Amino acid sequence: MESWVRFSAQSQAKERVFRAAQYACTLLGYTLQRGGATAELLKTIKQLEAHLSLSRKLMRLGNSAEALEAAKRAIHLSDCVLRLCITVAHLNRAMYFACDNVLWAGKTGLLPQLDQNKWSQRSFRYYLFALILNLTRDAYEIRLLMERESRSISAKGSLASPSALSPGPENGEFSLGPSTPSFPALPVLTARLQRQLRLLFSVLRSNPPLLLDLLKNLCDVFIPLDKLGLYSTGPGFVGACGLASSILSILTILYPWLKLKP
Amino acid sequence: MESFIKYSNQSQGRDRIFRATQYACALAKYLLRNDPARKALLVKLRSLESNMSSGRKLFRLGNTVNSIDAAKRTLLLSDPVLRLCLTVANVSRALYFICDNVLWAKHIGLIQGIDKDRWSLNASRYYFVSLLMNLTRDAYVMAQLMVQKSREKQFQQKASQHLNDSPDVACVIIPQLDAFLFLFIESLRSHPAVALDTLKNACDLFIPLDKLGIYQTNAGVVGMCGLVSSLIGILSVLKPNLKIKP
Repeated sequence: MESWVRFSAQSQAKERVFRAAQYACTLLGYTLQRGGATAELLKTIKQLEAHLSLSRKLMRLGNSAEALEAAKRAIHLSDCVLRLCITVAHLNRAMYFACDNVLWAGKTGLLPQLDQNKWSQRSFRYYLFALILNLTRDAYEIRLLMERESRSISAKGSLASPSALSPGPENGEFSLGPSTPSFPALPVLTARLQRQLRLLFSVLRSNPPLLLDLLKNLCDVFIPLDKLGLYSTGPGFVGACGLASSILSILTILYPWLKLKP
Repeated sequence: MESFIKYSNQSQGRDRIFRATQYACALAKYLLRNDPARKALLVKLRSLESNMSSGRKLFRLGNTVNSIDAAKRTLLLSDPVLRLCLTVANVSRALYFICDNVLWAKHIGLIQGIDKDRWSLNASRYYFVSLLMNLTRDAYVMAQLMVQKSREKQFQQKASQHLNDSPDVACVIIPQLDAFLFLFIESLRSHPAVALDTLKNACDLFIPLDKLGIYQTNAGVVGMCGLVSSLIGILSVLKPNLKIKP
């Protein structure tokens, strides 16, 4: 009970629950339609989904200011790649929220002559840019961690066996023998790929915040891709992705150590 | 900007802003109702108000749990009068939220076949009871403060000075009433949280009084009272020392 009270006191937290509910409705509507449910039930679910969407837009009315503040804070980061990615991502989010607020005004009748389609497309474009930047940041962090991990593995390897220059599958990348071919054969490529994948999995396993953030952004990216028509999947897949990413972000709110910093 | 973000991040803060907007729309609608040139604006105000209202109802979906949790906490208070008033107020609010959630489900279409008017009436009744309990608590706290203040030496000096200041006026006004009012106003001034809470509850009281038909005013008065109480609520979230405790 205590945790619910603390949880719902944060404005963002409730919004995430309603987002999960909205995408669950999308998914449910799709599965029920495939399963042949009554038109009445489908109409109710669609109505609920529209209501959740509009109310969430209402709840998000102040978020542009928040995103701008986050961008101002991100300018002071030391790493220049992170600084660029995160600042521009926040700026794109601020633009997305601004378009979203305009859409809300249009949907509630405050701006009746608004071209809702155009503004909707605009907002999804900004959302897509923000997600691409987030994924770039994730990829950069993964790359840094993988390099660090492989350096520490090679350091441990050179301490364990002094004759580490002998070529072999364990430290094939660091063997500098004169017989290294200029175009590695397929088994060597597969071995390298396997090693990289193993490194990737170990990095992700030891960094749950990064893994969660990567999964969340990957799930989220399908939503604007579908809405902009760049990669149409369908309401079922979009609903499932949205639901998964909402649950992951609820987890980062419930357990703050799971949130990727900065 | 910083304070706006910190404020609106609190769930309650945003809800109070939307409530203020909702009642401002209601007031504006009432004031402009007979103006033929503002028909388009009236439509927009009506749509905005209903939007805010339904959005807030969705937002309130979890509040029953919050109220029950608050009731459990107030059960542990030491003062028996405060314990009774606040616990009954919180339980009543929890029941109000349950009725409100049922009304939301009916409005969405998730539940059919319930008597909307009966549930709406019950919701107003529970809200009314909780407001009455809150006002009782305010009166009790005020009485305690006044008793405490009247025993202070500093205040006694001030009171005798006030009564001696205008002797010819004191002949006209009953001196005891004058002294009582002076004590009352001085107590309110030194405890603004209690004054604001009393004003907020008194304003809020007009809303269920009108809905239940006990003291019917009109949409304008209801809108004005709702707006004032929301603004006081926003003030008490912005400045936590103005919020009454417990």
